[in-house]
Amino acid sequence: MKNPLNKRILRLLKEEWGKYLAIFLFMVVTIGFVSGFLVADNSMLTSYNQSFEKYNIENGHFELYQQANQQLLNELKKEDVKIYRHYFVEEKTKEVKSTLRIFKQNKKINKVCVMSGKLPQNDHQIAIDRMYATNNHLEIGDNLTLKNKKFKITGLVALSDYSALFSNNGDMMFDAVKFGVAITSNKAFDDFGQSHLHYSYAWRYQKQPKNETKEKNLSDDFLKVLNSKTVIKEYTPHYLNQAIKFTGDDMGSDKAMIVVLLYILIVIMAFVFAVTTNNTIVSEASVIGTLRASGYSRKELLKFYICLPLIVTVIACIVGNILGYTLLKDVCAGMYYGSYSLPTFKTLFNSEAFILTTIIPFILMLVINVIMISYKLQLSPLKFLRHDFKRKQTTKTLPLKRLRFFHRFRLRIIFQNIPSYLTLFVGIFFANVLLMFGMMMTPLLNHYQSEVEDNMISRYQYVLKAPMPTDTQGAEGYYATTLKAMHSQSNDEISVYGVKKNSDYVDIKWKNNGVMISDGYSDKYQLKTGDTITLKQKYGSKKYKFKVAGVYHYPAALSIWMNEKQYQDTFDVYAPNGYFSNHKIKDIDDRCIATTITKDDLTKLSRQLDVSMGQMFYLVDAFAIILFALLIYLLSKIIVEKNKNAISMVKILGYENKEINRLYLTATTWVVVISTLASLYLSRVVIDAIYRAMLADFSGWLTFYMPSTIYIKMFVMTMITYFVVSITQMRRIKKVPMDEALKNVND
Amino acid sequence: MFLKIQDLKKSFGQGENRTEVLKGIDFSIEKGNICVLLGPSGSGKSTLLNIIGGIDSPDSGVVSIDGDAMSDMKEKALTLYRRQHLGYVFQSYNLIPNLNVKENIEVGAYLSKSPLDIDDLMKTLGIYEHRYKLPNQLSGGQQQRTAIGRAIVKNPDILLCDEPTGALDYHTSKEILKLIEDVNSKYGNTIIIVTHNDAIKLMADQVILFKDGHILKEYKNETKVPAASLEW
Repeated sequence: MKNPLNKRILRLLKEEWGKYLAIFLFMVVTIGFVSGFLVADNSMLTSYNQSFEKYNIENGHFELYQQANQQLLNELKKEDVKIYRHYFVEEKTKEVKSTLRIFKQNKKINKVCVMSGKLPQNDHQIAIDRMYATNNHLEIGDNLTLKNKKFKITGLVALSDYSALFSNNGDMMFDAVKFGVAITSNKAFDDFGQSHLHYSYAWRYQKQPKNETKEKNLSDDFLKVLNSKTVIKEYTPHYLNQAIKFTGDDMGSDKAMIVVLLYILIVIMAFVFAVTTNNTIVSEASVIGTLRASGYSRKELLKFYICLPLIVTVIACIVGNILGYTLLKDVCAGMYYGSYSLPTFKTLFNSEAFILTTIIPFILMLVINVIMISYKLQLSPLKFLRHDFKRKQTTKTLPLKRLRFFHRFRLRIIFQNIPSYLTLFVGIFFANVLLMFGMMMTPLLNHYQSEVEDNMISRYQYVLKAPMPTDTQGAEGYYATTLKAMHSQSNDEISVYGVKKNSDYVDIKWKNNGVMISDGYSDKYQLKTGDTITLKQKYGSKKYKFKVAGVYHYPAALSIWMNEKQYQDTFDVYAPNGYFSNHKIKDIDDRCIATTITKDDLTKLSRQLDVSMGQMFYLVDAFAIILFALLIYLLSKIIVEKNKNAISMVKILGYENKEINRLYLTATTWVVVISTLASLYLSRVVIDAIYRAMLADFSGWLTFYMPSTIYIKMFVMTMITYFVVSITQMRRIKKVPMDEALKNVND
Repeated sequence: MFLKIQDLKKSFGQGENRTEVLKGIDFSIEKGNICVLLGPSGSGKSTLLNIIGGIDSPDSGVVSIDGDAMSDMKEKALTLYRRQHLGYVFQSYNLIPNLNVKENIEVGAYLSKSPLDIDDLMKTLGIYEHRYKLPNQLSGGQQQRTAIGRAIVKNPDILLCDEPTGALDYHTSKEILKLIEDVNSKYGNTIIIVTHNDAIKLMADQVILFKDGHILKEYKNETKVPAASLEW
């Protein structure tokens, strides 16, 4: 005979459909998104990993100041590498304010994936990066003017060595708005001339290294050989090339974050289920006592009470996964396509995603519910019959005599519902962490952008290929080089500046010993005055030690500042290789200028993060509010239901609905207000830690900033949500009939 | 003797608050008898019933059924003992609200390897025509009949009834008592009824009067009065 108690399952589901539907929908959306994300992530990551072979992606590239002669190329070939010419030119676009890095069609190395349209067929056609096109609202058929020549866009492409559009490998973030890559015909490429031509060479090892350590050793050896034979302008092995590697690394870290997020949410839902089930057990105490007295075992009752949470979880997992594989996969893939210039991908069945979004949530739900429900069912049949749920007989009650009756009553309600309120607190805390994350990022990026703009050294900052004089009014020479940090966390590139003692552009009060470091550098590595930092040459082994003499407010980059004399003594260089200027320098040939740094270059990080993730921040906010509303709804409902009998009784005594609301809902309001205030502080601590961990992987640093208005906005938003939800509870209280108390006596 | 109680003691609370509820109880009941435990509130009769039912434990003394001492039983064995030998009926019916009459009785039947025929039992209990009704659609008497059905469907050796008519009116109470009597004669279960209604003692084979944790008086009725003829 089947257990007749099981007949109750569907009926309980029907009776409490609102509660179960809310939890079900929340779980479906959460699991669906995570499943869709994991499927898209895995499929795209597989296609990304396969692209290294499919598109013959380089093992690295180097750039020289001039064309490599045949003798050099022959000597390099002896190192078991194949060298490919991979020249490019960089030109400003007329129609949109951006720079395009243009390559010839290369069929041997770093091949191109045509996403739509076709590759250029003649000298007036161009194929541009798909994401750059999207961000600048360019379409096939539009025209682009480069160096006064009109090009018609014939295709949208993904360049396999530019899945993330980094214009400079040392940049903290790629820039798919003001920087793009493009392909022209060979003839059109040659027509650009040599003024902006970059002598870049890609290489591939004849025998591919098996792991990154071996690749690093090969790369180091190759760099030594290259260094001994020519002057290198740029050297970027594949494993350090952000334009290639950033996408894969980001996809990997996203996956870990999203899975943790899923499990936290499932654990919260499991607690909600367990608290609601325990509440059902309390309300059915007499029946349970009778069943236990009649010979039902705890195991049989546990099996019954655990059924509904598990059924809802299993169905949510199945529906969520179906949605994930169908609709949401494309939504999630779209998020990646919105950030990265990836080639096309084929959807792959992902058994890991299935396990992570089905088996593990099920196990979490099972374990948490088994622990909490069996703990409740541990009580003896007699205790159930007597409705006595205390494990220990308390001899003392809290001395609340001095408080007014209403306050005492509310406090008793809080003490009676501690498990529900604890779950509510955890839920509010987690929702606030999400909400804070979603709300703080936009102001943080805006603040960073305005800080960078306000603290720009000069309107134009030139980096020269070789020292050159200028007569431009106000131009001030400076020295600059890039060194590599040797901190345990990461090996950021640090810009080292040498400036005049009485500089018109850099306002530093120089100290006798040591160097000044930018505040971002100090913040990221927790460096303070008196600390010693060790840096090494970017392409050499020489190390430099500097003592930190102070912190200089320069948010744009991780940098070290020293005076001219100190720089000359340290690096043995005596002519400035750059200029600060508020006017455009016109008397230096473009070919002698390596880079011109403008406001757009310095603010690319905040701009790109806003483009890639701006919409996601709003989604996170919406998700947090829904989570918050759901928890408030479910847990305050439990509290009202638990006290249905008492509510009915006080109604009989003559209390009005308004007074009953004050008794029962105000207690919840207190808890919500206190939990929100406490969780605002705790969320700040958690967000600070998450933010540090998140940015540790980035090269560079954005100083944490959160305006105090965010706390107020968060508090107001949570309170509004709470009051909207509590209206449903007021209606619930209003609906409790007066005969409820009498009916239960007779039951 | 089928049920034997020897020197049973039970107290609640500690120190100054310690109250002895059972102060050394001895008696025994023959198989198939109806035994009424009679006494005022707080006299210890319900505590005794709970100890016999294996849902409470004595401080000392022995309860044995058919020679098996309950004190030797652990948690699992006690559950099995209740499952195999006992049926419980309470003053509050404790029916499952979202199961109908028949299903509530099935809840009891599930516990037995050879349960009674449910339809036949419902006819005996007079609730056959209400079998698809939910508890909230039934009168108090009908609910108690259902509770009795749930308790006896597994054909327990002992049916424990704790104030089975406590929440019922005079006529319904008599109907329920008659039903208990019928069940006893039809299925031969040993029935222990806890009550403070003095009239019920007349339908019993054996009567035990309780006061302050002691057995005040214990006797057997030479002639039983049928439940239908009871008056109070």
